[in-house]
Amino acid sequence: MTPAWQRYAPALIFLLPALVGLAVFRLVPILWSFVLSFYDWQIFDQPSFTGLDNYIHILTSPVSGQVLLNTAVFGLIYVPGSIILSLILASVLNNALRSSAFFRSALFVPYITSTVAVTLAWKWIFSTRFGLLNNALAWIGIDAAPAWLADPTYALPAVAIVSIWKDVGFYMILLLAGLQTIDPTYYEAARIDGARVLRRFFRITVPLLSRSLFFVLIIAIVRSTQTFEITYALTEGGPNRSSTTLAYFVYENAFIHFQMGYAAALAYILCFVLGLLTLVNFYFRRRWVHE
Amino acid sequence: MTLTRHLWVPLMAASALATTMAAAQDTTLTYMMWDPAQLETEQAAIAEFEANHPGVTVEALAMPPADYWPRLSALAAAGDLPDVFAMSSGFVQSWAEAGNLADLSGLITDEQLAQYYDSAASVGVIGDARVAFPQNWVAPVMYYNIDMFDAAGVEHPQRDWTWDDFLAAAQALTVDENDDGTPEQYGMWLYGRYAHIEPWIFRNGGRLLNDDMSAIDPSPEAVNALEFLTSLVNEHGVAPAPADMEGIRQQDVFPLGMAAMWVDGSWNIANVRDVAGDSFEWGIAQVPVGPDATEETARAYAWADMLAIGNNSEQPDLAWEFIQHMVGEGRTASDFLGGKIPAFQAIAESEDWLEADMQPANKDLLLEIGTQPIETGFSRDWSAWRGYAASGSGGMNGELDEVFNGRSELDEAIENFVAYGNDVLSR
Repeated sequence: MTPAWQRYAPALIFLLPALVGLAVFRLVPILWSFVLSFYDWQIFDQPSFTGLDNYIHILTSPVSGQVLLNTAVFGLIYVPGSIILSLILASVLNNALRSSAFFRSALFVPYITSTVAVTLAWKWIFSTRFGLLNNALAWIGIDAAPAWLADPTYALPAVAIVSIWKDVGFYMILLLAGLQTIDPTYYEAARIDGARVLRRFFRITVPLLSRSLFFVLIIAIVRSTQTFEITYALTEGGPNRSSTTLAYFVYENAFIHFQMGYAAALAYILCFVLGLLTLVNFYFRRRWVHE
Repeated sequence: MTLTRHLWVPLMAASALATTMAAAQDTTLTYMMWDPAQLETEQAAIAEFEANHPGVTVEALAMPPADYWPRLSALAAAGDLPDVFAMSSGFVQSWAEAGNLADLSGLITDEQLAQYYDSAASVGVIGDARVAFPQNWVAPVMYYNIDMFDAAGVEHPQRDWTWDDFLAAAQALTVDENDDGTPEQYGMWLYGRYAHIEPWIFRNGGRLLNDDMSAIDPSPEAVNALEFLTSLVNEHGVAPAPADMEGIRQQDVFPLGMAAMWVDGSWNIANVRDVAGDSFEWGIAQVPVGPDATEETARAYAWADMLAIGNNSEQPDLAWEFIQHMVGEGRTASDFLGGKIPAFQAIAESEDWLEADMQPANKDLLLEIGTQPIETGFSRDWSAWRGYAASGSGGMNGELDEVFNGRSELDEAIENFVAYGNDVLSR
């Protein structure tokens, strides 16, 4: 019998370049940034060890607190918003517009379009004086429309709305693929038994789509903590930090203020929160996901 | 024997010459800066330097500021800084304290120094060392729409204007044609941006930082200036709330004719020319001296774009020659667009740079500012506590905008930005 190492050696040799690349460009930076999170390091200066100072400062600073709260609020708008909307769109496309490649493409286009370009278009839509939205509102008699991007009440929801609009097509395609695996005979039997549309949706579609929904939920949660480009192009985190989320705050600290140690600690807090949320989701998975 | 010796000497000389030439041919000077468009204009000066230094090749690289600083920082961390690189007034202190910048003090003579604006050259002096040398400098000025002033019958900004005179003019220039409560033309445009606020603070003799720039500690003159500026929006209604202008590039409000006056950096001369074209006549003036200051105690707000030598450069003398060439006689007036003022006085005072045939007609005002005592307002971590660029929504900028937008009181905003700024500076 050939020893195991001899059997796997050719595969390992072929995998080696990819493994080396993975280690050098992914694993080492990930581990190194964890080490850095215990240092005060302005990138052009010498690092100095500060222990848990970065973490303590983040957890006690009012600005970090506001940023963490913004991230949570953004997630609470984005995750349910994008899942519900993508589920509705996928259901409509799967039934009423089953053969419409046009609608499928049209809804998917925002996802593959340049984020900065479409966000600039949204910036104009939300503009206070010359924006499409406020002019449309004035046309129907609402003159005191808000300054959507310059008002702390609306800026974060505006960023979330654009993010949902951008990503919903992607989630819709994932859910559409799941919907198309559901056997139509279930619906026929339910129809014969007299089940109406909503009942069929909640008793057949949702349970049989639960595995796809679970996947979309995890992806949406991860993406909700990573919003950056839309925030950058739409509000730059303003006004007065009201739309600054954790990923944008990491960027600010790393590449505007060059506080690499502090940014690394922020990134690891983000990683911890995300890991915790994913674990919680996996724990509750068995209660609602049909295997 | 004699013949052999005669042959030996020229052979040795030829060998030495060849070695020297080979060494010279190997000399590469690395140069990095933050403006690709400007590097294009600098190519002629670089070519001239190479022509004057046979065997020397200048490897020049430019990228926008958002990429420039992370990349330069990474090179500093790797101990591989370029020989010469652009250095801003905002970062020079941090970079000098980190030991990344070579000391140029021994390289320049007093006679050479006298050829440059002293105020600009002083920005590169940190402690006892001259660590950077100015290429050009910039200063916020008051832009004013001459056509609007004339239409309203208001006297143009005068050198002895008080802040009350300015306010009276702004009130006369605010026009609500249809009486709907929203003026079509405002007297002034401003928000929490550093180039909109600090000129008034410094012209009132105020300071935001303490003496050693280690803490935010606004002086009473600074607070008075902030009270005056916020009253322009909230009390007098002569300037729009920043929220009303959302969606319009801040530098376009004045050239689009939406405001009669605006204080911002002299570099915006180029943008006003581009956007306004010949649609109206405009000029520039200095921000009026505040009620708490005199001509002697008021200071101008100005800072310099500089060049520095990396502390690890193996050819600092050649690098210094390059800097001298790039900041001085190697340049022409056309290299300095609009309101970027050459630090080399001979170019700044030339007819070519003063551009008498273009707007503003009084560009020489900028040269006068260069002779005044200046304040740069920069400190370590300035971008964080002040709220600048992509972090402009936070810090002092974000807090002041809340006041301008009527959502916060000035006292509360000052308390907040002082607490945040001191937290940043103490870290």
